[in-house]
Amino acid sequence: MSELTGKERVQRLFKREPVDTMPCFSGQGAVVVQAIEKMGTQFAKIHTDARLMAESAITSAKIFNMDGIVIPYDMATVAEAMGRGISLYDGADGIIYPTVPNKWKTLDEIDIPKDYMSRGRLPMVDEAFKIIKDEAPDLGVGAWVLGPFTLAGQIMELDILLKGLKKKKDETAAFLDEVTKVTIDMCRHYQDLGVDFISVREMGSGTDLLSPRMWKTLIGPNLTKVFDSISIPCVNHICGSTDMIIEMMHGCGADALSVDQKNNVAETRKKLGNDVLIFGNFDPYNTLTQLEDMTQVEAIIKKCIDDGQDAIWPGCDIWPDIKAENMETYVRTVKEYGKKPSPAVGRI
Amino acid sequence: MAAQEEILAKLKEAVVEYEEDDCADAAQEALDAGMDPMVAVMDGLAAGMEEVGVLFDTNEYFVPEVLMCADALYKGLDILRPHIKLDADIPKASVVIGSIQGDVHDIGKNLVKMMFDVAGWDVHDLGRDVPLESFVEKQLDVNSDVLAMSAMMTTTMMGMKKVIAMVKEKNPDCLIMLGGAPVTRDVANLFGADGYAESAGNAVSEGIKMIGRLREYQKGEIE
Repeated sequence: MSELTGKERVQRLFKREPVDTMPCFSGQGAVVVQAIEKMGTQFAKIHTDARLMAESAITSAKIFNMDGIVIPYDMATVAEAMGRGISLYDGADGIIYPTVPNKWKTLDEIDIPKDYMSRGRLPMVDEAFKIIKDEAPDLGVGAWVLGPFTLAGQIMELDILLKGLKKKKDETAAFLDEVTKVTIDMCRHYQDLGVDFISVREMGSGTDLLSPRMWKTLIGPNLTKVFDSISIPCVNHICGSTDMIIEMMHGCGADALSVDQKNNVAETRKKLGNDVLIFGNFDPYNTLTQLEDMTQVEAIIKKCIDDGQDAIWPGCDIWPDIKAENMETYVRTVKEYGKKPSPAVGRI
Repeated sequence: MAAQEEILAKLKEAVVEYEEDDCADAAQEALDAGMDPMVAVMDGLAAGMEEVGVLFDTNEYFVPEVLMCADALYKGLDILRPHIKLDADIPKASVVIGSIQGDVHDIGKNLVKMMFDVAGWDVHDLGRDVPLESFVEKQLDVNSDVLAMSAMMTTTMMGMKKVIAMVKEKNPDCLIMLGGAPVTRDVANLFGADGYAESAGNAVSEGIKMIGRLREYQKGEIE
């Protein structure tokens, strides 16, 4: 059999069908400065223009021989579409991701517009997906959305939300229910656009912030509703501390789990068995921008594979200002050392 | 009238149990009983927050509980602070604090700010999403002893390095503290900072531990 394309590798991985080697892709942002420089544009511009967003994603993947692409890059698109504004930092020096400047301050103020899907940059992101599908048919295409709790923290003040979980349980639960519907709508929308997978990033819900009990009652049930509503491959990603909630994460029904470097993946694999897809879990900042010794980069990636992961994802967005050599070593190690079967996926 | 120990216990319990009204009542009771307000702050409110730190470290409390404890502490502090007598011979220490440009998270920053408030420092809180130049301008303007910056995300951390370089060039004596999820000891060293708290959780834990150190300092147990 001839070598698989990146898209085929990604699709087969999610179906747990044998692949020639481990696909190298991410469900977190993976745009890099090398692509932005090659295009002659600026980081601040790739968030507002469909052509620049699509092209920077494709170029980033192709420069480093990645198997997949994921957009958008920032977590503010939906909050912006709900009228919470956007700070693009287009005059700032260096790389700063867009943020939401005007979050709702109380539960009473919240008023999610019915037509949010056609507002802000969301139509532009749709257009970028169309360009990517047309121009990069050989690459796996992923969308990512915020999980209900993390999205809630993007549209209202996080400290008010966190205290609300204790002080105003019923009202906060009702709000999270409403936001869950938004996450579901976004997932179905991207599913209809024909993406290969969706990563649901509930990144603010690790046990650095919330108790396992709170996770069980307020986070898990909403994530379950989200994954129940998606019929294409989906990933449950949570960064930070996840060892105490990993079984509950698994119980939410996603096709794969993604964790960051705080998770003890070898233990997680023992807890969950070999049937579940696990992605992760290297520290992207240290591994790709700081290390100067490539044997260290290689050792980190090999350990991720040896710990029993089925795809080696960065624990968070790749910091765009990577060192090219580190990125090349990451991809090469995944493809070479990943020729052996992973726990949930065999090899051709 | 309740004995001092009893009032201190009430203050402490009100913080730990995040009872804002009880904390305000106990603070007023301390004043009515003629208690030194600084003792009430340090051995009541701050002692309560130290216990919260233990509960946080042992996974009994998480961030929502800690935030509510902080709210309770401030209820008491707002009542006690105006009555604390300042020593005119000792200049008040000051800090400029804020979350770096591109970062709209401020929970960790606010908990560290609480530590400085408890200690009676002049706190210049620039808020969040603060442009790099604003940190430098404010620090030079008020000549603060400490500049404290937080970044919750890797993607905003790099701005700290620029601020440190700008401040250290003009005011090398200013101590610089970094905090936030992506900040490690290596990063702090690399950037030229004087201290760090390595995660959102650690910012909570470290901030609370610093309160403990302040209490020891006040009692003369450390220099």
